[in-house]
Order: sequence, then structure tokens, then C-alpha cells
Amino acid sequence: MTEPRLLSILIPAVGGQGGGVLMEWIHEAALHAGLGAHGTSIPGVAQRTGSTTYYLEIFDGGGGPALTVSLYPVPGAVDVLLAPELLEVGRMIELGFPSPGRTTIVTSTHRLYSIHEKMALGRGVYPTEALESAARQFSRRLVAFDALAAASRHRTEANAVLLGALAASACLPIPRESYRAAIEGRGVAVESNLRGFEVGFELVAYPEPAAAPEPPPPPAVPPRFVEAVQFFPESCRDVVARAVARLIDYQNEDYADRFLGRLAPLVRRDASDLPRLVARYLAVWMTYEDAIRVADLKTRRSRFERIRAEARADGAEIIVTDYLKPDLDELYGILPYRLVAPFARWAERRWPQGRPTLGQHVRTTTVLGFLRVWLLARLRFLRPSSYRAHHENARMDHWLGVVKQAAQWDDALACELARAAQLVKGYGDVRRRMAATFDHLLETVMRAGTIEADKGLDFAVSTALAAAYRTLVLSGPDGETRAPAVAAEVMARLEANDRDAALASIDRAAA
Amino acid sequence: MGERSFAEDVKQLGYGAGEVLRGEGILAITKALLQSGVSYVGGYPGAPISHLLDVLADANDSLLRPMGIYYETSGSEAAAAALLGASINYPMRGAVTWKSVVGTNVASDPLSHVASAGVIGGALVVIGEDYGEGASILQERTHSVALKSSIPLIDPRNDLASFARFVEEGFGLSEACNEPVFFSIRIRACHMRGTLTCKDNVRPKISMLSPLGQPSFSLERINLPPFTYAMEGKKFHERLPAAQRYVVEHALNELHPGAGGDVAIVMQGGLWNTTLRGLHLLGLADAYGDSPIPLLVLNVLHPLVPEQIVGFLRDKRRVLVVEEGMPNYVERELKALAHDAHLGVEIQGKDVLSPNGEYVPQLVINGLRKFLAPETTQVAFAGLEERYATLFGHQDHVRSALPKPVAKRPPSFCTGCPERPVFSAMKILRTREPAIGDTHVAADIGCTTFSTQAPFNVGNSVLGYGMGLASAGAVAPNFGKRVISVMGDGGFWHNGLTNGVASAVYNKQDSVLVLVDNFYTSATGQHHNPSTGKNARNEPTGMTMPQALRGVGVKWIRTVDTYRIAEVIGTLREALTTRVPGLKVIIAKGECQLERQRRERPVARRLEAAGRTVTQPRFGVDPDVCTGDHSCMRLNGCPSLTLRDNPDPLREDPIAHVDQTCVGCGVCGEVAHAAVLCPSFYEVRVVMNPRWWQRLLARLRWAVIDRLAPAGVR
Repeated sequence: MTEPRLLSILIPAVGGQGGGVLMEWIHEAALHAGLGAHGTSIPGVAQRTGSTTYYLEIFDGGGGPALTVSLYPVPGAVDVLLAPELLEVGRMIELGFPSPGRTTIVTSTHRLYSIHEKMALGRGVYPTEALESAARQFSRRLVAFDALAAASRHRTEANAVLLGALAASACLPIPRESYRAAIEGRGVAVESNLRGFEVGFELVAYPEPAAAPEPPPPPAVPPRFVEAVQFFPESCRDVVARAVARLIDYQNEDYADRFLGRLAPLVRRDASDLPRLVARYLAVWMTYEDAIRVADLKTRRSRFERIRAEARADGAEIIVTDYLKPDLDELYGILPYRLVAPFARWAERRWPQGRPTLGQHVRTTTVLGFLRVWLLARLRFLRPSSYRAHHENARMDHWLGVVKQAAQWDDALACELARAAQLVKGYGDVRRRMAATFDHLLETVMRAGTIEADKGLDFAVSTALAAAYRTLVLSGPDGETRAPAVAAEVMARLEANDRDAALASIDRAAA
Repeated sequence: MGERSFAEDVKQLGYGAGEVLRGEGILAITKALLQSGVSYVGGYPGAPISHLLDVLADANDSLLRPMGIYYETSGSEAAAAALLGASINYPMRGAVTWKSVVGTNVASDPLSHVASAGVIGGALVVIGEDYGEGASILQERTHSVALKSSIPLIDPRNDLASFARFVEEGFGLSEACNEPVFFSIRIRACHMRGTLTCKDNVRPKISMLSPLGQPSFSLERINLPPFTYAMEGKKFHERLPAAQRYVVEHALNELHPGAGGDVAIVMQGGLWNTTLRGLHLLGLADAYGDSPIPLLVLNVLHPLVPEQIVGFLRDKRRVLVVEEGMPNYVERELKALAHDAHLGVEIQGKDVLSPNGEYVPQLVINGLRKFLAPETTQVAFAGLEERYATLFGHQDHVRSALPKPVAKRPPSFCTGCPERPVFSAMKILRTREPAIGDTHVAADIGCTTFSTQAPFNVGNSVLGYGMGLASAGAVAPNFGKRVISVMGDGGFWHNGLTNGVASAVYNKQDSVLVLVDNFYTSATGQHHNPSTGKNARNEPTGMTMPQALRGVGVKWIRTVDTYRIAEVIGTLREALTTRVPGLKVIIAKGECQLERQRRERPVARRLEAAGRTVTQPRFGVDPDVCTGDHSCMRLNGCPSLTLRDNPDPLREDPIAHVDQTCVGCGVCGEVAHAAVLCPSFYEVRVVMNPRWWQRLLARLRWAVIDRLAPAGVR
């Protein structure tokens, strides 16, 4: 008997993605092609949205039932890694399965984020570029494309698209017809799955060069702002133009003027990144989401058009219900400062946390529901004198002052303090908590900066502390709790004149 | 019943001699039961053996009942083991199944009794050994139970023909030695796909169609002294020796002399596949499993046959034992036998392999290499190191390619799961009202166990199935505030009603029990349980949890809809603060979404295709309203609630996004409301094939909205 060639196929998937169907298709296709084949999977609770794997072996030539099959993939002996999701490719590389000398990786590049990536307050997502480059490094050949997007475009399943890609990659001795026969034989959603199969096959057999998505061009600004934008260095003009358009949309042209007036003092001759950073965070901050803004965004025509497009149902009607629950702050926040300040002070003492709320479900696609929200958006004229504006402006001006002062010390420190504004986000309790965290960051870092300035040091500690504090808070609840403690430890060491120990504390916290 | 439909498999179970069945390992085992002439089959579901019960449930009307075979899904593994009592007095063959080791623990009382009394009809216990990668339970192996109860243990090599053969031999072995027999099958083996050439099914001689009618009585089968002393004696003087004879006469263990060298390997049958693949990759076996190295494959791990073992060891210099789990009974027994027989053989095992963990290929191959390293001067073993390096050399570069560890992805609650919002409620209460909500939570086994994972981290201990409440027994009086226990409906009926609720009421425990009722035992694959309303054979039951609770004396019972988070929070608050003493039970109800979608989705699709009006709810996030703080993720955890890049070029943090898999359960909005998060969430009801008046009304509405709505610049 000749030794048959063993081909092993590992399918790492996320439970619920239908990896089992993919395995069954390949198994049936191999049998249809007259090859020996077996496959296996891990049943049970592991499949409830967790990482799971499916495994197949195919024997090419010779064969018979006496062949030894393995129920497990062997690291370094995997011929095909077929992945319906990209992070799982990384996991398989981490476990040592694919190898540069042997493995063809066929993967979809889309991501299903793990809960740990989703929980971060900032960007906790595993870097896609690292995954793609590792996949290239640990494969003989890499076939990577967004199968979910392709499936969505053609209203079919990503699994079927991937099966087509596997067929077109020709890394298994199974003809196209056998895969098609497997889909037909299973008898489930045959027409749509065959369509998906062909889409995947064509995409890999005749790839089109991928066009890099271009960022949308900055919106046009009114003529009277064209010159003002030109005042800023080339590197930040696109951001300033975007900001101006955003502020006019949010309030009016005077408000955009105010923005430019705040930004101008920070512009300098050198190539610092500072004006661009400040422009960006300031524009977002100045368009803070008060009840008026939310009402405005919720009643735009473009919003309903987007929802209709996402529902992807021609000839269907849509009924939209908004879940609105402003708390007391957000309600009196839109009223004039002079009118509500005494009441607000009382309310803030009365309910330091968890202020009373006004929960409502508004049917925004009915006339009355729409009018309720639309009328609220008409209160924009109240905004400049509102209680909320008073407080937001005070905090913004404090931040700008701090950044300006730091800029006289050290550009890197000023940039880190500008970035701290990333923390100011959320609604209600979340926003109040984040604002307090932000205040504490500014206060601590400026204290560190002052000590370093007094001693003629190089601002390494204050700069690193600002970065570490922000990164920790954005990393998630644990980091948010740890950040003040880290800051206290760093300050204690700095005050004790031990700069190196302070830097070491920051390094430890960052790791 | 069950997560999958088994119509095709049911058909194959009816195959006669010569027909070729195509399917999974567990189907081959099921078919072999029918080929062995069983009179009864029972068990308690759980991965990896759930499908045995599922397929028989589906086959009950068409196949089992016409053959007179009794089938049940038992109340627990203990109830299943007690079924084997039928084979003590009557020459009936029967089989039961469960997930092990946990199921065996639950079953151990009746199992010990059956093993003591002995059987006259073949009794087989199919245990799904949930050990290693993908296991959902604590990590122990069942071997020790076999040893202490003198139950023969079969661990067959993995292919469908072997499974069928050893099921049939298992019954023969059981009848030869008068003991029930364990048939152990590993996780991946249950689901390996292959083919089996069938035999005819055998109609049992004693069955529901030809019943016993006459009782059989013998004091020797009653587990009371002095007969228990005699039973113990019989185990070692009669039953195990009979088993050993059967093992030899039927060649259940395999001897492969290879090229007859003095370096050999002994392995558990279930590890044959991995070991031989390892040898193949190291150049020491071909694709058919022929190796120059002498091999002894132990398909029966208990009892071992001393003559067989000593015969194999006699002319060997070095022997490796490939045996998963601790204690390493096989290795130790081999060493003891070699010692007693004064053999000079050196026996290795755990020293080059590993005391813990599933014996996956890399571990086994590494062990083989270490074991064979001293032999590489021999021609047969040359090139070992090179082959090893070819397999694993690239692993040295992994960390440089992926400096940051890949994010973990633990199993969790599904999209639309009705259990998840209960834990959102508990986390919100813990955060917003720590004085009462930040308390000890005794978790339980089942899907509810996921509450202990991110993003909830609700649940301080997990002790056993249905043991949530009982495990709070000593915490509650010593805690200083009211504690909470969680239990699913599966666990409640399995063990929780008696060991949990009755015991807590009896001992006047003052605490709160959250009974999560999703109508099925979902963790195992939506199996029916008493409060599902129908049993596994689809016969109505009429059992309810409130009735059972009242029956054991619970006075304070509230029922809430799990999806209404504010109500769940309110009810929890009430239970935690009420002056009423004793046990407070909150039944949190909501149907398993997997089961519901499986039922409703095809109907909706059919209606839509037929032009009927169908309304599909979904949720969405307004991308410009979301500020990307991800508070919703930390309280919700739905797989469909995910992230996308911020479309706003001025912002950087990804924003929340509800993807196409949303089933519109409403929890996104409920969480945002209950925790006062943000106004970003909206529900959109998509009305397919709207009626004329719906279209007209919509047109009128859009006329108004269109006139007023600003276009928006972004």
C-alpha cells in the first residue's frame, strides 16, 4: 500500500459562528471527491460565544478505514488554517499551530471583539495590523479578506464565502463541484450558500486590488472662515475646517469664532503637534452632548435615512423608539445659569450621586413623538447662557490655561495634557465621574510639572504620568481604580526627590 | 427536544446489517446499544454525551417504543444510575449515560450499591469524560471511581467501529463478571465524524412488550450485612477474575509486537490516536499505525490482567506508559507487577509526560522525544530531533510576532439571552446601591455560571449543580447582610429543590434565591426539564416551580420578567430589604433565546415570503450620540452589542454598535435606562409587507417629519 498524504485542516472559530457547518461541508466535499476524511469538534458550553475549534483530516491517495486519525491538530503539522475571524488566527499562532513552512491560512479579516476588548473606556481592541502581519509571518501563503462584508453585500453567509475562498485557494485536492455538492447535500439555505460560495471563490481566484478607504474630505466652511482657517499651520487646517463646520452646525458662526479665538494663542512657529491636538479635542468638547444636541441629532433627516438603510428592507416601514432618560442635571442644564444656579447647588448636595431621572420611550417616527424631541432641539438659543455651558466653559478654559502654561515648559508635556481631554465623555454619572478624573489628572500632573520646573528637571515624570494616567483610565474599570493610587505613589517619590523611582513606578503601572 | 434535529440520525439508527451509518462517534455508540438488545436506556444530559439522549428522544416513537425499549431522561445522574437496579434481579440489558466526573459523583451512591449487589443483565454506563480542552467542569478523571467500586472501565481507541465493538463487548463483559461496566469516551471522540458498518438491531427479550410479570427475590442481592461482606468478597474472588478472563479471551487489549525491540510503549486505548500520530510525525509509525516499537494498547483500564502485563514487560528494557490524569494507576500497577515479577525493566510515564492536563499531541510528542532521546544512537530512532524541530521550531518566534497576548474569549451568554439581564440588574444594584447590592453571591452550574465572567463578575463561588443555595448555607448567617444565591431551572430540579430549598427552609436560612427560569436546561443544549411542561418523550408533565416551592414551605415568592431590568432590580431590592424572615425566592423568567429563535425565525421567514405582515425588532446606536465610553459594554455583555470605528474624524475612541445578529430583545435599552447611561440606543421595528393603512399612516408621518427635520451636515 502506498502511504497516503495526510492533510490537516484546523478551523478556529467563535461559538455560534457556524464553524460546525463549515467543517461538515468540507468533510462531505472530501468524501464526495473520493478521499478519506474525518473531522471532530468540541461540543457543549465552550461553544456559547467562546473560542472553539474544529478539526479535519483528509487522506489524499491510498487510504481505507485502517488509517490512523488524530482527534487533535498537531502544532507545526497544520496544512490549512481556515478562520472565520481574525483574532482566532492570532490565538492559533500563539498556540503554535500554523507554521511558515507548511500552513496556508485562509481567513476573514473582520473582527468579533472579545468582551475584554469591548470593556475598555478607550480603544482596547487588539491591533489588526499585528494580527495580519503575524498571519503573514506564520504561513506559507495567506489568503485574507473581509468575508463578512462580502457576505453582507451579497446577502449570504460568511461561512459559505470562506468555503469558496478555500476552494479557490486550491490547497486541498477537492474539486469545486464537490464543495458545491456538499452544500446541496446538506439542504439548508442551498441557494444563498451557493451564491456565497461563488462570491468567495471569485474574490480569491480573481482578486481585485483593494482600494484604501479615503477619509471624507473636510466639509466646506463659509467664505468668511476661509481666511481664518488659513491662519493655522498646514498640518492642522483640515481639523480646524472640520471643527468650524461642526461648531456652526452645533450653535452658530459666533460660536465658531469663539473656538478660533481659544485656539489661536496656542499656535507657534515650530512643528508642534499641539495646535492640532487641541483643535480636535476642543471642537469635540465645545460640541458637548446636552439634551438640545441629542434632540437635534435624533430628529435629523439623515438619521432616519441611515436607520432605513441599515434595516435593509425595501418596501418595509420603520418605527423608531428612542430610549431617553435625562437626569436632573441634564434637564436644568439647558436652562439659564442665573435662573437655576441656586436650585442646582441644592440638588447637587441633595443627590451627590444618582440624581432623579425622567425616563421615557419616545416614538420618534410618530408625529407627536417627533415634535416632542424636535421642539427640544429648538431651544438652542438658550445654550450660550445655560447652566451647563457655564460649567463646561469654565472647565475648558481651565484646561486651555493648563495646556498653555505647560507649553511654556515643554511641548511633549503640553501635548499629553491636551490629550487628557479624551477622558471627558459620557452622560450623567459617567460624565461627572470622568470629569472628576480629568480634573484630578490635570491637578496632579501640574503639581509634578511645577516640582520639575522648580528643580530644573526635564519634565519626564510629569509627561509620563499624564500619559500613563490617561491610558490606565481608558484601559477599563481596573485601571480607572488604580490610576489615582499610581499618581499618589509617583508624586510621593517625586516629592522625595527620587525622580528615577517615580519613573519606575510609572513604568510598572504601564506594564 | 434538544439543540439539534436528529431526523437523519434517527433514520440511521434503524439501519440493518451491512448498511453504512455516517455520523458522529456518539451516534455509533447509540446504534451499538440497539444492536446489543437493551431493554432500557436512561441518563442525564451534558456535554459530551447529550446527543445520545437527544437522538433517542427523537427515536422514541418511531424506533424504541415499537421495540418495547424504555427510554427516559432521568431526574439526575443518581436517578439514572438507579435505573441499573433493573439488571440486579432480572436478565435485562440496560445502559445509562452522563457527563463525568461530575455526573459520576452525583451517581456514586446508587452506583456503589449496584456494583455491590452485582448484575445478572448487562449494565453499561456510558460516561462522557469531560476532561481537558473544551471541558466545562472541574478537572478530575473517573478512573478512581472504577477502582474503588470494582467497576470495569473501558477506554476504547477512537474510531466508530471500535466504539460499536466495545459497547457490545461491554455488555458481554458485564454479564461475564456480574458488574456494571464503565464505557468512557472523551470529548472530541464523541463528535468525531466517521462511518460504521451496521448490524441488525436486537429486540430485547424482556421489554415493555414482553414484561416480566414475576418478581425475583434473593437476600444475597440486598445491600445489608452480612450479605454486603459476601458481596465484597465476590468482587475480588469471582467478579474481577471473571472480567480478566473475558478481557483475555476476547482480546480486548491489543498487543502489537512491532519489530520486537526492547523499548516499548503502553497506552490507554483512548490515547492510541494521539500517540500513534505522534510516532508517525516522529518517523516511528506509518499512516496505518504500524510501528517498529512494541505497543500494548489497554482498551480496558480496569481490571488490568497481570499475566498479560508481565508477559509484555518481560523481555523489555525500557517502557513508557502514556496515561492521562492523576493518580497514574496504570503506571504504578505496572511498576508493582514488574517489581513482584523481578523484571529489570525501567518504566517511565509521568516523569517525561505531565501529571496534569489533557494529553494533546504536543505534550505527548514531547514526552515521546524525551523518552526516546537515550535511544537515538540506534538507526531506528535517528532523525528524531530534526523531526521534532521541524514541528515546533517556529514557536520560538511567536512572542516577537505577537508581543501582546491575544485577548481571551471566554464562553458567555448568547445574543438575546434572558439570563444575562438578571446579572446586569445585579451588577447595577451592586454599583448603585452597594449597601445592599454589594453582597456575597453563591453561583451555580449551568449557563448562569457565566455571570462570574466579564463583564459581570457576579458570583463568589461555584460548588456543584443545583448547589447554589446550599453553598450559601454557612455564609448567610455569618455575613451581616443578606446574601444572594443563584440557581437555574435545570439545577433546581436536579438537586436544588431538596438540597437547596428544602434544606434552607428547614434550617431557617434568611437569604435570597434568584431562580433563573429559561424553560430548559440550556447549558446542555435546551433539554427539557420538569417545568418545561413536557418531558423528553414530549408527554405533558404539569410540574411547576412555584408549586414545588410552596410545597416545601417557601412563603415569599415573586416572579419577574428577566428582560424588565428595572423590575428585576426593584424585586431584588425588596427581597434584600424586606422584614419578612426566611428564604425569599425570585423566579426570573424568560425563554432561552436560542430555542425561541429556532422556533420563530423559520415561521417569520415563511410568513414574510408569503407576503404577510411581519414585524422584526432590532436595536441600534446613534453613532453621533454615542461618546464611546463603553459603559453599556460593562453592564450588558451581549455578543451583538459590539464596537465599530468612530465615523467622526475628530473622535478617536470606537463607539458602540449593534450588529446584524441582534434579535431585538430590548436589553440594550433597558440597561441604558436602568443604569442611566446615555440616550444613544433606539429600537427600530421593521414592518415587512406593511398593510395599506400602515403605509398610509407612515406616509402622513413622513410628510410632517420631512418638512421639519433638518438635513444635518455630518
